[in-house]
Amino acid sequence: MNEITPPLKRRVLPGFWKRILIFLTIFGPATITAMADNDAGGVATYSLAGAKLGYPILFPLVIITILLGVTQEMGMRLTVITRKGLADLIREKFGVKVAIFMFGALLIANIGTLITEIAAIKTTSTMLHIPPIPFVMVIVLVSLFFVTKGNYKLTQGIMLVASLFYIVYIISAVKAHPDWGLAVTNLLYPHGVDMTSAYMRDFLLIGMGVLGTTITPWGQFFISSFAFDKKIEKGKINYSQMETYWGAFLTDFFSFFMIVATAATLYIHAIPLVSGEQAALAIQPFAGQLAGVLFAIGILNAGFMGLVIVSLSTAYAFAEFFGISGSLNDSYQKSKTFYILFVIQLIVAMAIALFIPLSLFKVAVFTQTINAVALPPVFYYLIKLTSDRQLMGEFANNKFQKIFSIACTVIIIVTSLFTVATIFIKT
Amino acid sequence: MAYLSEILGRPVIDLEGKPVGKLRDVIVRPWAEFPHPLIEAIAVERKNGVEYIPFAAVAALLSPVIPLKYRADEIPVCKLEEGDVLLSRDVLDKQIIDTDGARVVRVNDVEFVWVNGTIYVSNVDVSWLGIIRRMGLTSLANSIGGHLKQKGISWEDVELMHRDQSMQLRVPATRLHELHPADLADIVSDLNRLESGQLLDSLDVKHLADTLEEVEPEFQAELVEHMSDEKVADVLEEMEPDEAADLLGDLPKERKEDLLALMEKEDADDVRKLLAYPEESAGGIMTTEYASIPPDLTAGEAIQVLRGMADEVETMFYVYVVDKEEHLIGTFSLNNLIFAAPGQMVSDFMTEHLITVNLTDDQDTVAQTVSKYDLLAIPVVDDQNHLHGIVTADDALDKIIPTAWKKRLPRFYR
Repeated sequence: MNEITPPLKRRVLPGFWKRILIFLTIFGPATITAMADNDAGGVATYSLAGAKLGYPILFPLVIITILLGVTQEMGMRLTVITRKGLADLIREKFGVKVAIFMFGALLIANIGTLITEIAAIKTTSTMLHIPPIPFVMVIVLVSLFFVTKGNYKLTQGIMLVASLFYIVYIISAVKAHPDWGLAVTNLLYPHGVDMTSAYMRDFLLIGMGVLGTTITPWGQFFISSFAFDKKIEKGKINYSQMETYWGAFLTDFFSFFMIVATAATLYIHAIPLVSGEQAALAIQPFAGQLAGVLFAIGILNAGFMGLVIVSLSTAYAFAEFFGISGSLNDSYQKSKTFYILFVIQLIVAMAIALFIPLSLFKVAVFTQTINAVALPPVFYYLIKLTSDRQLMGEFANNKFQKIFSIACTVIIIVTSLFTVATIFIKT
Repeated sequence: MAYLSEILGRPVIDLEGKPVGKLRDVIVRPWAEFPHPLIEAIAVERKNGVEYIPFAAVAALLSPVIPLKYRADEIPVCKLEEGDVLLSRDVLDKQIIDTDGARVVRVNDVEFVWVNGTIYVSNVDVSWLGIIRRMGLTSLANSIGGHLKQKGISWEDVELMHRDQSMQLRVPATRLHELHPADLADIVSDLNRLESGQLLDSLDVKHLADTLEEVEPEFQAELVEHMSDEKVADVLEEMEPDEAADLLGDLPKERKEDLLALMEKEDADDVRKLLAYPEESAGGIMTTEYASIPPDLTAGEAIQVLRGMADEVETMFYVYVVDKEEHLIGTFSLNNLIFAAPGQMVSDFMTEHLITVNLTDDQDTVAQTVSKYDLLAIPVVDDQNHLHGIVTADDALDKIIPTAWKKRLPRFYR
């Protein structure tokens, strides 16, 4: 037992503390999934958004939090109640062809995501004067080691520690001396800038991009698989639901500071930014060297988290879709294919990102396109499965949940399709 | 040889060649005499819904178009019976237990075999070829198939699982009983809640107890959550007292008391005693099932006495010698006993040089002592040297080696 699941045995606990302890036993999957949604690509997008649009781009965060919370909760509930992963259920209910299509889309999109993570790590490590290629290799090797050699608890522990590192963005934001009042009020309604039509167009586009990096197909599969691997008891479903909302809040809580850090410096001084990773360097003259270095460390940490979680999500989904053993608690011998798939993706992505001159922008667009194609079916199956009374019993979506989740899904899908469409029109 | 995926969706026609509908499912009925079930009926999707047509009315199932022996208006229909398996609904794409390989796998296809005019279910296909075939690339699958070893699982080794709550495992899961409890525990942890509940329900008390002992403690409590108190009490009596105490320790307080009250007094007292000690102490991990005899017996008499204990004490590495007040005064191994002359007194060949741990000793101390002296079990005593129980080497190491690492150790050391 480690600090995450304290022993509940043979102890009499008062109600409140008991509930806290139960919460800690289920704590992990939702928080980690949500935090990994702010991967290196996410941080870059948020930084870019803050630099280009200032405080008003904080406004969409509230909506994103709600959308993320609602969609993640469905995945969590589905798994805790049925004791099967999302991919398991898609295969059983909708057959092998759907399974192959979904897995194909997930695999390609995830490799694209991994490439952008590695590219971000590369750019950032160069800024910190760390040799990029050895550094990326070390990160990949370290994650290989603890994922294959360790168990669920170790991986969860490491990922939770990585989640803590997002605190660096709070420090960076404070160092940037932002106008806190303006920042917070912008959460309620966008204001304080000159809303020209050009600004509005960028606002819409970047706002949608922000949504696209946060709500992803792999996030939906991962929360389900990770909760499955944790074997959360049905009786603790309330606590797990709470965790999904908490995770969604926490993610956007940190996103808030990422945006504030660049809005208070780069936007105010009208410094243009080509890519989000450069924010770490660009904010230094205004917020000081410490803020810049912390910002860069934050990106490295986010990239590391993204590499492990995204790669795991493919391996888990493969195991579920095609019925092989796949658990972090299994030995390498038992879940060979699962671990090999985890490794291969990282190696392929690393090879592409480090040695093939690719336009990062194109990779990002490509990835986002695949994600946009895969998201509608993912949500279609997710809502259909969570509304299935035979499967979910009393925990099936009620009318309100169903309508609300469909509405959220429609927003997400329209947004992601629209983003892709505009990129194609522009290029 | 034919596959379920190939015939599903094929058109069904009547005697005159008029379309009747599409093949939706194939119904088989397991029977006791032969492990491979026969096809009983087919499910056909017609305009007004799905109808079940007895297999006797089908002229040829494994053909591109499935002709019936009747005209459209004379087609006999039948009803499903309890115990019928719908191959597409219950087997295809679902997880099954492969009792031969002791693992949970996903079914990619179901294979039929045609013998003397009768069609049996022969194998389930869990290989990649099955998936390729399902993608519509039958010829590709067949051309690769010739070079690859087929990975079909004989129906004999297939244990179905049902998601439908009202359905119980229909055939008594006899094949599962042949599995090692550790394999069963592995399977249980791979299954979803409902299925694992059904699987455990189908086991007898002894087997259930052995299986639960192999499952991770946190998971044990969850598994017995929905079992009746009577059944759990029976299982707890069957388990080793230390394992039973661990399980009880994970349950809510009221249920724990209820269960203890339901257990036989002797077993319950053993468990209560263990529950009183802190979990990480020698007292918390010890078992009270050990063999002890008085010193004034001959070797021959001792063997007689120990034989009588065989039922209560499962593993007997060492025999402990205690006086009337239960003070531990010596020990000997079964080797010592066998090599001793039948008339020799126990007190003559027992070792008086004792290695013990105290009830309140930390579990790490226990593990270190056990490994330092290469013991298979170590006696646990109180300050007055009264014998209270023993800790076996596997339990001692269990507490310090994380499960994930332990799994990598060769079986022998576990």
